[in-house]
Amino acid sequence: MKHGFREPWSVVAWFLAPALVGLALFRLAPIAIALFGGFTGTRLTGETVWVGLRNYERLVRDPAFWNSIEVTLLFNVIVNPLQILISLGLALLVLRPTRLVPFFRAAYMAPMTVSLSLTSILWAILLEPTMGPVNGLLRSLGLPPQPFWRSEDQALATLIAVASWKGVGYWMVFLLAGLLLVPKELHEAAMIDGAGPWQRFRWVTLPLMRRPLAFVLVADTAANFLLFAPVYLITQGGPNGATALLMFEAYQAAFTYLDKGRALAISSVILLVIGVLAVFELRLLRERGA
Amino acid sequence: MSGAPTRRVVLALLRYSALVLVATLLLLPIYWLVVASFRPAADIFATSSSFGLATLLPERLTLEHWREAWSGELPHAVANSLFVALSTVALGVTVNSLAGFAFAVFEFPFKRLLFAIVLATFMMPFESIVIPLYVLIRGMGLTDTFAALILPEVASGLVVFLFRQFFAAVPKELYEAARVDGASWLQIWWKLTLPLSGPTIATASLMLFVHQWDAFFWPLVAAPGPERVVIQVAVARNVTLEVANWGGLFAAASTAILVALVPFLLLQRFYLRTVAAASER
Amino acid sequence: MTRLSRRAGLAGAAATTALLATRPLRAQAKTTLKVIWMGWPEGQVKPLMDSFRAARPDVDLQVETIPFVQIFQTLEVRLGARTPDPDIFICDSPLTASYAARGHLLDLTPHLDASRFTKSAIEAASWQGKIYSAPFGSSCPVLFYNKKLLREAGIEPPPADVERRWTWERLVEAAKKLSDPAKNQWGFSFEQQERPYMLLPLAQSLGGVALSADGLRATGYVDGPAFLEAYTFMQKLYTEWKVSPQGLFDPNLPVEQFGNGKIAFLVAGTFNEATIKNKYPDIELGVAPYPRFEKGKAVTPTGAWHIGVNPRTRHQKEALALIDHFMSHDLQVLWFELRPYPPVLKSVWEKEARRFETDMWKIVRYELEHTAVPRPATPGFREYEDILRTALRDITTGADVKATLSAAAQKIDRELEKYKA
Repeated sequence: MKHGFREPWSVVAWFLAPALVGLALFRLAPIAIALFGGFTGTRLTGETVWVGLRNYERLVRDPAFWNSIEVTLLFNVIVNPLQILISLGLALLVLRPTRLVPFFRAAYMAPMTVSLSLTSILWAILLEPTMGPVNGLLRSLGLPPQPFWRSEDQALATLIAVASWKGVGYWMVFLLAGLLLVPKELHEAAMIDGAGPWQRFRWVTLPLMRRPLAFVLVADTAANFLLFAPVYLITQGGPNGATALLMFEAYQAAFTYLDKGRALAISSVILLVIGVLAVFELRLLRERGA
Repeated sequence: MSGAPTRRVVLALLRYSALVLVATLLLLPIYWLVVASFRPAADIFATSSSFGLATLLPERLTLEHWREAWSGELPHAVANSLFVALSTVALGVTVNSLAGFAFAVFEFPFKRLLFAIVLATFMMPFESIVIPLYVLIRGMGLTDTFAALILPEVASGLVVFLFRQFFAAVPKELYEAARVDGASWLQIWWKLTLPLSGPTIATASLMLFVHQWDAFFWPLVAAPGPERVVIQVAVARNVTLEVANWGGLFAAASTAILVALVPFLLLQRFYLRTVAAASER
Repeated sequence: MTRLSRRAGLAGAAATTALLATRPLRAQAKTTLKVIWMGWPEGQVKPLMDSFRAARPDVDLQVETIPFVQIFQTLEVRLGARTPDPDIFICDSPLTASYAARGHLLDLTPHLDASRFTKSAIEAASWQGKIYSAPFGSSCPVLFYNKKLLREAGIEPPPADVERRWTWERLVEAAKKLSDPAKNQWGFSFEQQERPYMLLPLAQSLGGVALSADGLRATGYVDGPAFLEAYTFMQKLYTEWKVSPQGLFDPNLPVEQFGNGKIAFLVAGTFNEATIKNKYPDIELGVAPYPRFEKGKAVTPTGAWHIGVNPRTRHQKEALALIDHFMSHDLQVLWFELRPYPPVLKSVWEKEARRFETDMWKIVRYELEHTAVPRPATPGFREYEDILRTALRDITTGADVKATLSAAAQKIDRELEKYKA
């Protein structure tokens, strides 16, 4: 059975309709309006006027936009593989339900119960240059205190670390669910054939983890492209543009610069970039010859 | 033959050291926050810049912040958020698993296009669709209702995607057998796929739950009345431009964290049960 | 006696409006006013609202208190949808022009008697000669200091007398003696290390002007010599003299450090007096006026929360009745008791004089009458504030002052372009 079951629309529609109606109403329609809005401007009096490609032309000529493209790509190139590797490692560490493992599983999931804005407030305090406990710890170990969020060189790395603090446990959950669905018999068969742990992972687990991994990769990419709460609450895109993620630029355009056209143009760019990356990631993990 | 057991002990030791190290990194900040909520207001930052025993173990304890937090709108907000989150989980798991099932099992025209559109729905910044969404909800007369908080979040492209990916783990041969036995597709989804997808349902529930538990901006826009106050709004009210009630903030935040931990602990047991069931099969 | 008659008058007015309103009202449901309010603690909101409910039983208030971090965004969505909802909203005074220019504020000029308010409050509420927001509070920062730390360092405290206010130069000299960065001990900090509200007076003291008179041009102002000199001085607080802790941008954190005796001088809003006294009862708190530069004049910032009426409201009469009620003497006194912002009504300053006999309130009263300069009246204040704020932030961490300011000025000009019609 290479493909799925061929069923008439009358059957398929029953399954798709509830979700698609909800998505069409509450997501697709507003998204269509937003995409359209990227080609418009708003008069002070609230009327919308068609401006064609002007919002995009202005973006292309804006060095701040290119800086944020650069920052966003750099951030994502590091944060996505990093989070997935760590969460896969954690999922493998807690896969075998030995003693205390339930405790560790719960411990790793704990940060995801902390909301994003609270995560930001908490880590802003913990990493404060002068009064933060982390620098207190460094001082008591005889190490020089670090500026973290307040340094052009460290801010993005700090953001990556904090995003991962919150993220790795979350993505671990999905990978763990995937690992739990790998039939034990396959492992046992491979063991009988004399395969070592690495070989079993590489040739038994990993092929069966393609779909869960694809999900986590795409979902994680989307989540990290849309992340901006710590930037908004802690760094305001700085120091000197070091953390000016695209999403923050879009947010600023919408709510600070009150420039709806620019905000929606940037949002459309974000959608496009995530979309292209998702296609690429799904291709990368597509089952070959299955 | 003493080599093998020694190696096993070393490996176990390594494994547990890694487990403990990661757990410490992930839990310590939360521990600091929860402990801070029990410190008198003047002590919260008194020891923060010089790390020592006092940073971890408070010298004086007080229940003042917790009492204050719990005497306000917090209990109401916890109840509201639980209601919103659990309703979304119940509806969302049903609706999205149906769609995920269709995408995983059926072959139909425009499937790839439809799926691409479903994926696109979670790639657009929410902040850029919030105004049209608000106008829509207002037009439907739903502002300041629970429906305004629940309905837009039930159908989720991400959760459809999750189900689609994970349902593929169910062998197609089982479906064929069921079809031969004369089962309808709805019966197959309900009696075959869902029971085999414990961890998947659990993670999908978790996603929907956490999403609603963290909801902040949308509830303020769509249902800001005091009757529908949600947990993150109640937490954030402790901070104004002029005064941050850190103790109150931390007590409310600790409440949000501890209540949200419950579903995770349940998930734990669920995972263990599924694994046990799977190995008995 | 005056008080009684005023209250009776108010009740009379309420009764008249109620009578007038009876005909369309008939026996139908009450009018409901939707109010978006700041997320202050419930105890500081409910008494105000209840007072109006008591005066106008025919009007129901539905109050939504929004946490500070999201209030501007929430208002942007709700007002941006251009519906009659909300009827009334809390409005940060410098955003008056921004909301007014975009048609989100009803012209209140015919309804407010400007002569009842302090001059700075009316200025902060005005745009293009009209009053668009009803002043509901004012603000004024002062120089707090820790008497004990000064005594131990042998420093004579700054006088509370506004005529003999300290200069920034003198403050820095004192702060140097009180600082020991290695021990996390600091001589001085601003409560708001990055916000133009608190930092604009530095440049204004040296003769700087925040924006062109029409409020639409920043180049030549924000990158002018006064700004350059003022913010070079500010940068040195962090980088050269090391008397201020770097990066405490959350305005609540310097206050905590001050309370813990880690900061000796703190320029901060008046509301901090109560916060510090409650949380840190042991601290010996001294108060002095906001400093000026040696060669400059004294300038202080002002402005705070105002109240706006949505021009699209379907209940304009009731909404204006709420404004009237909230602008009444009695309610403003109640508000002061709940949350001691400097009052905006002259009558409160005069009739409640005994409340204002402390050093701090004497200073505040003087500043509001003589030195307070509201933030620039421009429809692009949000843009202006945010861009300048980011620039000031970068300056505190050592960015090149001249380059940062001129980049900011150009960026502001770019954003102000949209208001030139």
